[in-house]
Amino acid sequence: MAASSAPSANFRTWPIVLLLTLLSLPLVVMYIYLFVDTVTDSSTGSLIPDTFTLSHWDFLWHTKVGKPSVWVVLVNTLLFATSTTTVVLLISSMVGYALSRLNVPGRSVLLAGVMVMHAFPSVTLLIAIFVVLQMVGLYNTLIGVILVKAALDLPLGIWLMKGFYDTVPWEIEMAGITDGASRFTVWRRLVLPQVFPALAALGLFAFLSGWSEFILPRVLAPGNNVQVFSVYLASLIADDNNFDLSMFKAVGVFYAIPVIVLFVLFQRHLMNIYGGGTKG
Amino acid sequence: MTVTPTSPADAGAGVVQPALGSRTRRLLYGSRTLAWLLLLPGLVMVVLFFLAPVVLTAAFSFTNMSTATGVSGGVYQVAPSSISRLKTALPDLADELSQPRYVIDQAGLDALGQTSVPKPLLDELAAKHMGEVFDNRRDAERMIKTLGGRPSTAVVKQISEAFNRSIVNARFSSKTALFEAIDGLGIKATPEQKETIADNTWTGWVWTTGNFERMFASKDALRTMLNTVFYVAMVLIIFNTAYAMFLAIATHYMPDRTSGFFRSLWLLPRITPPVIYVLMWKWVAWDNGFLSMLLAPFGVAPRNWLLDTGTNAWVFVILINGVVGASMGMLVFASALKAIPQSQFWASEVDGASRWQQIVHILLPQLRWPILFITCYQTLSLLASYDYILLATNGGPGGSTEVWSLAAYHTALFNYAGNLDYGYGAAMALVLVIIGITLALLYLRVFNYRALVSRPIIEH
Repeated sequence: MAASSAPSANFRTWPIVLLLTLLSLPLVVMYIYLFVDTVTDSSTGSLIPDTFTLSHWDFLWHTKVGKPSVWVVLVNTLLFATSTTTVVLLISSMVGYALSRLNVPGRSVLLAGVMVMHAFPSVTLLIAIFVVLQMVGLYNTLIGVILVKAALDLPLGIWLMKGFYDTVPWEIEMAGITDGASRFTVWRRLVLPQVFPALAALGLFAFLSGWSEFILPRVLAPGNNVQVFSVYLASLIADDNNFDLSMFKAVGVFYAIPVIVLFVLFQRHLMNIYGGGTKG
Repeated sequence: MTVTPTSPADAGAGVVQPALGSRTRRLLYGSRTLAWLLLLPGLVMVVLFFLAPVVLTAAFSFTNMSTATGVSGGVYQVAPSSISRLKTALPDLADELSQPRYVIDQAGLDALGQTSVPKPLLDELAAKHMGEVFDNRRDAERMIKTLGGRPSTAVVKQISEAFNRSIVNARFSSKTALFEAIDGLGIKATPEQKETIADNTWTGWVWTTGNFERMFASKDALRTMLNTVFYVAMVLIIFNTAYAMFLAIATHYMPDRTSGFFRSLWLLPRITPPVIYVLMWKWVAWDNGFLSMLLAPFGVAPRNWLLDTGTNAWVFVILINGVVGASMGMLVFASALKAIPQSQFWASEVDGASRWQQIVHILLPQLRWPILFITCYQTLSLLASYDYILLATNGGPGGSTEVWSLAAYHTALFNYAGNLDYGYGAAMALVLVIIGITLALLYLRVFNYRALVSRPIIEH
């Protein structure tokens, strides 16, 4: 950075900081009110909260009429996000290795396919996927939407893992093979530990992406038994009978807890992940 | 995180080509089985959820599949709706089909055998009139009255009712069954006319090119297309590139901690789940939300800024998507700027360059490829993704923010009318699939060609 390592003799930094602060202010206000509104009330027509209340968090112990319990929703969301992540990690680490190191026939075709799929906006396939799930009887099941979400995240995962395997020195495998280990053992015991950072990054991304996903569960698994948080919150907001922004915000903050924790813990890693061309 | 112009794959693959001994080579050939085992689950997933859907999207777009037709087979049913459709092509036949017929058949005789109708009467009927067809009730009843034993009016009605054979609402599992029924009723129809009847009474889906004709003729589709172009262009130009560039350059000139803070802050909307993020904007725009309260002292009437006019809706849609989209450009551009050697800045400052000159002559040239990359990438994702618009305005007010992908969603997956038009929706999606594949191929050609052609470290 120009300014930090060698403060510029010619220019001052503060005008730019001031400008960016002003531009960022609305965003900051929105996030502050997201949290403040969940535990306070303010009198009508005023933006300044005057009373502390926990009534907006009522949804935790009182299930809304016609809606699933928030705890069921929480379990569904956890199942959805963790299963998706597991499938993505498992398959990406396998396929990525095969494409990077093993003698696969038609390898360049496969690689080209993965890259096209990675760039391709897969959400356009949703209509066909919806009909397919109805035909095979996986519509409105968690397993169906988990498989679809994992499949759509796969090209990114495979591509990332392949890139990381490419950077692992071949000598490691050579040593393993000369010592008589099978290729499988070499992969599992010697190579996988080398790409752990990639697995961690991919896992983090897949979990966040699964946790936030809205369209897929909305279309493929909207039922009360299999509802995830995004669908639950969206259906609360869409329901005109009990419009209560503060309650929505409370549900939202509850929903966002893992996201906030991961954001605080892994800010720098997240910036690397989101800075390189993930979908969005 | 990978398809950047400076992907690690570019550097990694194909660099080391160690000389392999024959023993090692043998072991490598053993790796083929393992390769298949490792690839198999991925291949299955990709075939099921990528390739099959692409093919099926294309296939469905040439059908009239909808909630009404179902996705599996169908039956032939002479429903009132099919008769009214038939009226335009074959008015006379449609009329005949809708009228009841009176057919003297064994089934009717058997049914009457269970009742108190005198047996001799039925025997006479069977002997004299078996198989006869009457066009209407009056003719049938006139015939019944001529039978011996002079049946009472009530009995005549009872008998005629037993032979009332209407085809309306009857369901036939095959074409042959339908045609037999038509023949059995004595309705004269040529084979071509029968085919027309079959076409109009089929309840399942059929192959058709009607979706594309409808799309090209539709004013709504044209408007949606223009909306999409406007939306992609505005978000892309204002936020994904210009504002992202501003963020990257501004934070570039700040101390590390400050720049880290601002970058995290602007990354936050990208990480926040869309439902919550849009909820925050709804709070801003709601009629008793932030904006309305803020403007109340200035005499502006509170209103729902998100949905009151098309223009306001667009402002919010662009803001909502732009603030999310700016982060990616910001991070990509920032890492490109980081790669510029410090000495260039020092040299330029010694020469007395203004900050503007630094930006124009040092920073911007460095961003040429990243800008192209972001443009390609974000065009694709803006074209296809619609979660933020769906959650914010749902295409409203009155369809003014309806974009192509959202329209496909509304057509095929969710609408208030309840009749989901999978065929037409698939045709709309197919347009995006084709654009998507073309652009994906194009931009991979530009950015990742080298990585694609490089050989793996170990291959013969």
